[in-house]
Parts: sequence; C-alpha cells; structure tokens
Amino acid sequence: MANVIERNNVQVRGAGDRAMVFAHGFGCDQNMWRFVAPAFEKDFMTVVFDHVGAGGSDLSAYERAKYSTLSGYADDVVEIGTELGLKDSVFVGHSVSSMIGVLAARQAPGTFGKLVLIGPSARYIDDEGYVGGFSAKQIDELLEFLESNHMGWSAQMAPMIMGNSDRPDLGQELTNSFCRTDPDIAKAFARVTFTSDNRKDLAEVSVPTLVLQCSEDIIASQEVGEFVARSIPGGRMIVLNATGHCPNLSAPDEVIAAIRAFVS
Amino acid sequence: MSVSGPDFEDMVNNAPCGYVTLHPNGRIEHVNATLLAWSGHPADQMVGKRFTDFLTMPGRIYYETHIAPLLRMQGFFNEFAIDMVTAAGEPLHMIANANERRDADGKLLLIRLALIKATDRRRYEQELLAGRELAIAAERATQEVLLLEHETSELREQFIAVLGHDLRNPLASISAGARLLGRAVQNEKEQQIVAMMQTTVMRMASMIDNVLDFARGRLGGGITLEYDANGPLEPVLAQVIDELRLASPGRVIEFEFAVDGPVNCDRIRIGQLLSNLLGNAVTHGTAHKPIAVHAETRNGLFELWVANAGEAIPQTVMDKLFEPFFRGKARASKQGLGLGLYIASQIAKAHGGALTVASTPAETRFSFSMPLA
Repeated sequence: MANVIERNNVQVRGAGDRAMVFAHGFGCDQNMWRFVAPAFEKDFMTVVFDHVGAGGSDLSAYERAKYSTLSGYADDVVEIGTELGLKDSVFVGHSVSSMIGVLAARQAPGTFGKLVLIGPSARYIDDEGYVGGFSAKQIDELLEFLESNHMGWSAQMAPMIMGNSDRPDLGQELTNSFCRTDPDIAKAFARVTFTSDNRKDLAEVSVPTLVLQCSEDIIASQEVGEFVARSIPGGRMIVLNATGHCPNLSAPDEVIAAIRAFVS
Repeated sequence: MSVSGPDFEDMVNNAPCGYVTLHPNGRIEHVNATLLAWSGHPADQMVGKRFTDFLTMPGRIYYETHIAPLLRMQGFFNEFAIDMVTAAGEPLHMIANANERRDADGKLLLIRLALIKATDRRRYEQELLAGRELAIAAERATQEVLLLEHETSELREQFIAVLGHDLRNPLASISAGARLLGRAVQNEKEQQIVAMMQTTVMRMASMIDNVLDFARGRLGGGITLEYDANGPLEPVLAQVIDELRLASPGRVIEFEFAVDGPVNCDRIRIGQLLSNLLGNAVTHGTAHKPIAVHAETRNGLFELWVANAGEAIPQTVMDKLFEPFFRGKARASKQGLGLGLYIASQIAKAHGGALTVASTPAETRFSFSMPLA
C-alpha cells in the first residue's frame, strides 16, 4: 500500500486519547476545517486530510475506477484510521463526506464511535416519495456544464495547484489557491457526489450520529437533512442559524459548540 | 477630493460593471442599475433575494461549493466565472471580483461583488477548448495511422525476409542442375546456354543475399559481422573475382593485392561487398575497358577499391547512389534491385569504415576503407 499519510496529505495535531477526524466535501480541501479543528486540539487528537484529487493529496494516486464510487473514498478513510490506529474516534464529515463517513463506519467497526454529518444528503436527485432538491435533468445539466464549460471552470480550478505539497500556512497570502482541483478530477468527483444514492446505508449506522443542518442550504435542504437524521437509528439533528452550505466556514463557533455538546 | 451626492450615486449606479452587495446571509442588499439592465430583473425582485437564486443551476452549486468558501477564507476572490440567468431566461456570462467588509471584531458585515460581462470571453474560452480537443483528436488519429503504417511495413519486411529465404533452396537446385548439365553437354551452343544459366543463378543469389540483408537491417537486426583476424582475406577476394569473371565472359578484371598483415574483418561480408561493387562495375562500366580491383593495407587502414571506365556519374545521381532501391540507367535485363551499393555501404559502416565514390569521365571508382585496429 502506498503511504496513506502522504497520499491523503494527512495532518495530525492536538492531544488526547480520542481522535476527531475531519473530512472535507466536494469543492475544497482540508482548509475547510481551519476555523473548526483547532478548537478541539486541547481535548482531541485532530486529523485533517485531503481526499485524493483535492488539495495537497498525491494526484498520481488518483484512479478513475476506484474513485468512481463513494466506497473508494471510504476505503481511504478506513486506511487512514487503520494507519493511525484510531479507536472509537469521532468522524466529522462535511457535505458528500458525510456519506463517505457512513460507509467507512460500517466498514471498520470500532474505528469510528460517533458521526457528525454537516449538510449531509443521502441522495441529491429527487425520487418517488423522496425530495433530494435536484431533478435528474438539473444534475445532468451540471455534469454537462462541467463537460462543456471546462474553460470557464478551469479559470478557477486551474490545471494544477502550484507547489501544493507545501501549502502555505495560515496568514500567508493564498489568493485563490484554495479549492483548486484538476478539472478532470473535479468533474469525476462531481459525478460521484451528485449521482450517489446512500439512502439504504443509513439504516445500518450503529453509532450515535448528529446531523448539523444549515438554514437555507441550497445544496442540502432541511428536508434532505431530516431524511438523513430520521433514517439513522437514533440519529439527531440540530438546525443551525448559519446559512449556506459551509457553516464550518461561515459560522465556526456554532458548529464547534454543537460538536462539543455532542461528544462530551 | 471625495465624491458624494448625486455624482457618487451615478458613479455606483451607472458604473460600466454590475455591482451588488450581499448581507452575510447571502441575500442581496443593493444592486446597481447596470446589473439590473443587464439581467432584466426589476430592483424590487432582486433585493432581499439570495444572490444564488439568480445563478444557473451549475453556477449555484459552484458558488456554494467553491466560491463562497474561498471568499470566506481569504476575504476576497478575483476573476471567477459567474453565470446569472436573465429575466428572459437567457444565461448571462460574467466574470466577478468580490471582497468582504468586516467590523473591528472580524464579524462579517457585507459582501461586495463587481461583475463584468464576459460573453465574448466565454465564447473564446469555449473555442480554445474545442480547438484543444480537435488537436488532441488529430494527434490521436495521426498516432493511429503511424502505428498502422509501422505494422504494415514491418509485415512487408518480414514477408521479404521469408520470401528471400525460401527462394534460396529452389535456386540451389537449379544451380546444381546446371552444373551437372555443364558436364554432360557437348556442343558449344549448349555450353553457352548452361553458362548463361549459371551466370543468372549467381546474379539471382546475390540479389537474394542483398534483399535478406536489407530486410534484416530494417527489422532491427542490422548487418551482423563475424570477425576473424587470422583467416586470409586474399583467397576470398580472389574467389569473388573468379565468379564474376566466369559470369561475365569477355570482361577483363585486373586484380592487385598488397595486404601485409591480417585484416580483422568478416571475410564473407567483405567478399559480398566486393561482389556488389564488381557487379555494379560490370553493369555500368564500358564493356571493352578493363575493371580494376585493388586491395592493400596502408597507414593503419585496409583499402579496397574497384574502378571502371565509362561515363561520369552526374552529381544528382551521386547523392542517391547509396540509398536502397536506387537504380541507375542500365539495360532492363541487367537491372538489379538497387540494393547492391546500399548493402555494400552498410557492410562498410558495420566495419567502422566507409564506402565512397569518385567519378570522372576517365574513371569511376568506389573505395572502401576501414581502420585495421
């Protein structure tokens, strides 16, 4: 096996017997957690990482077939847990990483003792008797847009992150260097994210789970969050005052408080 | 001097760019007249709504997953593509810059967005993209053609190699038969016919040898040499000359030999080289003038040359003499494959030497020279 720590650009900080693993969603990288993870360093060993294809991960480890399903990403999370010898840790997943956490927790019992799912969706596309928030046509349009509008996107998602291996630390000028992904990988990740359907996996979650739902989240609406919380045995949900899809950035204090209350 | 009052309002409202401010919750607080005009939405329908409500669906998802996080983390962003939808439902392609206004405690107060129309730029980007895809497709097609061409030519050369090899056996039978007949026949006419048969067999055998060497060279084997530093070279060369004399009745071939020591070479190959040079001289040289062959060791070199009388070779022809399948003017019955000089030059190269030609109205001379050590 390739070096998992380097492959996923895993960063471990903090102190404590238990670990808290933060997994970023589609669009960004571990910087998503920069306002949240440090708050737990006193009581937890904090683990942040980049999914393969994002941020400072090893792009050469990107395999089209493996990462065409969320299980491929869940395998990586399990490998990180195994490599670090995690037991009964807290998994905090944002957006699509919520479902990656659900899969990883089932795959490696004992590694993750609690799940925090921020802005989760078990399925983005509407289905009979289910509201996902997007029609199949709209998701097709998104993927088509990604295919046809490559240049418009690549202006932002620049072909390659320059010198990404030594990502500048907090405070340094970063000018648009976050959230840049190889356009082909971004397209593939969008496809696996927005066409996933993990509704059946929710019933199999056997650890305490907290859903953090934003107000006015156009990516994962409250109805979608409620479905996740309701379908997970003993799942709880907190609706945050924060708006948008990234409360970990826009309202870190609210997110920190909710996680702290849940894990203590 | 600061601008205020009606001038200031005009500056913002009628700026040549769209300008919009958002509440921290993402809802529109102010929007200038330029953006209202571009988008076709009335002000009262935009203010208070989420900015993302006016984006295309892919644009919305991109805003939430990429642009908003970036803005939150660095406090600004530059040159992002943002696609709005006009009141008429048409896409409005734009490029945006944005920054945040925060209070002394770092609390977000406001987001400012400046938007520039980028319809032409987007079209240009798409053309670039289409151009790149075309180039990639063309490159791929070229590679495929090249690969196919390579495979075909390899197959062709293999075919030549097999054919050449298989032709040798029947030729050997004809040769043996002609030899037997030569002993049996009595009258002069019949003897001449048999001699002609043997000449033809020899010419053909030599052509097959050249073809095989050529095919082998093209297939990557190159000309292989079996060096022998001790065996005498003279008898090999003498035998080649005898064969050519036999095959070319009436032609005079003179031979001088001044080799002082051993020559470390593949004698069979040097014999083949001489045979090819002599064959060439017989075909192209003046029939009633002698052909001269000279071999010697001198100044650390082994030199072998063949000279014949005849017309000078034109310069244009000279440049192509050593190329495969090049054929000069000759009677059809004497035409070879055009491989003789090419193979000879390959043999020269394989020995670390060179084959050169000098041609004047008095004499055409092919000279082979190789280092002795």
